[in-house]
Order: sequence, then structure tokens, then C-alpha cells
Amino acid sequence: MIKKNFHEKIALVLSFLILNNYLLLSLNFPQLLIKINFLIFLVTVLVFYSKNFFENPFLKIFFLFIIFISLGTPTFEWDARSIWLFHAKRIFYDQSIFSIGDNYAAFSHNEYSSLAPAFASSLAFLVGHWNEVFPKLSFSLMFLPPLILTYAFLKDTQYLIFLSIVFFTIGKFLFNGWTDGLVAIYFGLSAFLMYLLFFIDTNFFKNRLLFYLLAFCFFISLTLIKNEGIALLFILFATTFIIKLYKGQLGKDISKLVFLSISFLPVIFWKFFCYSKGIGDYYINTNILLNLLPRLDDLNNYKLISYFLFLNEKFLIALIFFLLSFWIKLDKELFSFIFIVTAMYIFILFFIYLSTPFDFYWQLDSTAARVIKSLSFLLAFFGLYNLSNYKISY
Amino acid sequence: MTEVKIKKFKFFFIILCVIQLFYIFHFRSGFKYEIIKNPFNENAGISYALSAEVIEANSILKKQKVTDFNLSEGLKKDTYLYQRIIEFNYPIRINESSKLIFFLYAEDIPNTCKVIETGKYLKLTQC
Repeated sequence: MIKKNFHEKIALVLSFLILNNYLLLSLNFPQLLIKINFLIFLVTVLVFYSKNFFENPFLKIFFLFIIFISLGTPTFEWDARSIWLFHAKRIFYDQSIFSIGDNYAAFSHNEYSSLAPAFASSLAFLVGHWNEVFPKLSFSLMFLPPLILTYAFLKDTQYLIFLSIVFFTIGKFLFNGWTDGLVAIYFGLSAFLMYLLFFIDTNFFKNRLLFYLLAFCFFISLTLIKNEGIALLFILFATTFIIKLYKGQLGKDISKLVFLSISFLPVIFWKFFCYSKGIGDYYINTNILLNLLPRLDDLNNYKLISYFLFLNEKFLIALIFFLLSFWIKLDKELFSFIFIVTAMYIFILFFIYLSTPFDFYWQLDSTAARVIKSLSFLLAFFGLYNLSNYKISY
Repeated sequence: MTEVKIKKFKFFFIILCVIQLFYIFHFRSGFKYEIIKNPFNENAGISYALSAEVIEANSILKKQKVTDFNLSEGLKKDTYLYQRIIEFNYPIRINESSKLIFFLYAEDIPNTCKVIETGKYLKLTQC
């Protein structure tokens, strides 16, 4: 039998090492330290695998298969090549995450934060060269902390259903070098940690430092994976704030919220660095109103966004599962939390799409299915969690 | 739930996960057995990830041992080639003031330029 908290601790260590890798690169530490950090990560994964293999065999076996697929596929899709792995390649050759300050190859969205590319470049440091295949393996490895953490809450068949949800909603994004799958998983687990620390009835989680550290690491990771992560974390904080304010419990929890909001700092520093170098954001700029206003009064625009976002089969199935779950067992507080988070994100998505500087249809066609993954995973995950303690009687 | 029903339920989800993984692997991944044989090789996966023009540009630049290059207007207009040549050749950089300019094989080369190397798809010139 594995020690108590084993999965939480492994998830924390792995998550911390991913962030530490980013920190070491940011502070221009020697390559040797970065390699050691990555080696410790790999050893921790080995510890997870070797310590009572049969405790959580499904993740271990299925993840080996994900690694196998990742190492057998080239990086050929645009986002993976032109943004994430190109940033990783630049970090590898320039040995700094700040080399993008020259805004070379501006098409690669240099303003995007580089947590995943930094981790990929460190794997390349360890191997000693760059190629078109193995660096994206590190993107797959970044899925491990949230996948391992979930095992602390969902056991046995419930965990198998969870894995099935991951394969269904994330799919090929587990290994193709894109970051949308990472955003979805880290968002789902960040929402879960927020729920455990602020809403669940028991004080078990609220009194344990381990869960605050986990939340802190997951929140920082979420913001540094992709820009959507910043909006998603903001939504989690805003929802918690609103519910606590409504229930008159804000005074009791405000200090915890303030402490956890420090997790926005790294991405604020990053955005400030980009701003200081004149590297702007394609979406958030002075033309935002010029793009938004002419589209606001055309009903067809709302129809088109709804078509792309809501008629996604994965989103619809996840939504039906979520509604069914809460119809079977209604947890009003959990339902309100997820409902507000979902509504806020949908509102932000409408705002972003209506103000896009790119061709409206093209933007929706090329991004909507990816962006909605975060909500699909969130709804399915919480639908499952809601039913996890439900006893079926005969 | 009875023990037997729990086992059946579990078995169903094991099979479901296996089917999902197989679907992702077979239909969604672009997996190549050629690559998995040696995924850490420096040239692994290149021919599957990039077009022949991009690979040729890289081999010419490496052969000529240059540090920067430029692209003709024809190449710059082709977004795919423009972006992939920049990505794949890094740390060799595109430089607007570079005298070494790539042209497509079929493109006309200005009189002021001298061909350094001709490949199957591209020509590297000094202008």
C-alpha cells in the first residue's frame, strides 16, 4: 500500500519542477542546473511508476502508450511548429527565454508565455541536440501532475472514467505539441483545487498547506501555458469572489484569495517584459473597439459563434453528462460554481471573437474547437466528480 | 452494486479507454513506424514534417555555412514556405539586408545576382 498523500506529493513535486525549470531559464542559470532539474523530474516519474505499480496501473500503462505515440509522430501542425516548438527551439539555441525580445519571426506570437516551450528546450538540453520529434514529448510529460493528482480523488473505475474523459476531450492534444490540451487539464484541476479550498464543506483541504502549494503551482502553470489560461484563472478568482461575497463569507477567505492571487505575478512580469520590448498582443490592442463595434449589432455574428462553440460534439456530450450528473445528484454550490465559471468564459469567448482583428469566419473555424476543450473537460470532469460519491441502490 | 456488476463496469471502461487510445493512435496521430525506430536522431521525422523545398533550403545553408539569408519576393508570398524556412533553419536567421537570397527554381533571377548553388527546388544567389 502506498503512503498517504503519495499522489498529491508526486503531483506537487512534478508541477514544482516544471515551474522551477522556467525559473532557472528566466534567471539564466547554468545549463547544468537545468539538466539536473529535468533529470529530477524524470526520476520522480520513475518513482511514481515503480512504487507499487498496481496502485494506479491504468494511467501508467496508458501514459506509456502516449509517450510511444509522441515519439513516433513528427511535429507538422502549424501551432505546434510555428509557435510552441519554434519558441522551444529558440530557447534551446539562445539559452534564454528572453531572446524573443528581438521579436524575430513575429508570426510566431512572441508575446505568448513559454512554460511549455521552456520545458521542451530543457529536454533538448539533456539530449544534446534539437530535432522535429522528441522535444514535444515534454508537452506530454506536463500532463502528468494533474493526471496523477486526480487519482487522489477518483479511484479505480472512477479513475478509468476520468481517463476516458481525458482521451475523449483532449485526444491527440496529449502528444501533438499544442498547448490547448494542457490548458484544459490545468484549468479543470485548478477549478477543482479552488473548489476544495473555498467551497467544499469539510475543512480537511482548507487546513492543509499541501493543497495551497498545489493550487499555487497549478495556477501559475495555467497562466504561463497560454493566454487563455490567464482569462480562465481570472474567472476562477472572480467566481470565488462573487460567491463568497454573496454568501457573506468574503472576510473569512479574502486573505487566502489574496495569497493565491500572487500566482498571477509571473505572467504579469512576462507581459511587462513583452510590453517593454514593444511586442504586442494580436487581440488586446488599441483597435479592439474598432473591430468589436461594427460586429455587435449583427445577430448573424452571435449565431455563427454559437454554431462553432456549442455545436461541437464533445462540448455537447460533456454538457449533457454534466446536466445528467447534477439531475441525479444536485450539489447546488458545486453547480453554481461551475455554472458561473462556464457562463463567464462563454461571455469572454464571445467578446474575443467579436473583437478579433482577423477574418471572423476563419478565426472561428480555426480556433473554436480547440478553445471549447477547456469547458468540455471542465463540465465532464465535474459531472464525474459530482457522481463519485453517489451510491447506486438496487 | 454487486461485485460482479462492478467488475463488468470496470471492464467496460478499460475496453473503452483502449478503443479510444487506438482510435487516437490510428486515425488522429500521424504516427510513423520509421520515426519511432529512432526518434532521437537529428533528422528524425523531417521528411514527414516539412516539404522538400524547406529541407533543401536547410541543406544548402548548412553546406554553405552561412549565418543569415534572405528570401525572394516569390518565396515571401508563399506563407507556408516563408514560415517553415524561417523555423526550420533557426539559428540561421532571415535577414532583410543579407546578400544571400533564395529564389524558387522557376523564378527569374536579377542580373545583379550570381547563383551560388542550384538545387532541385531552390537557388541560392549572392546579390
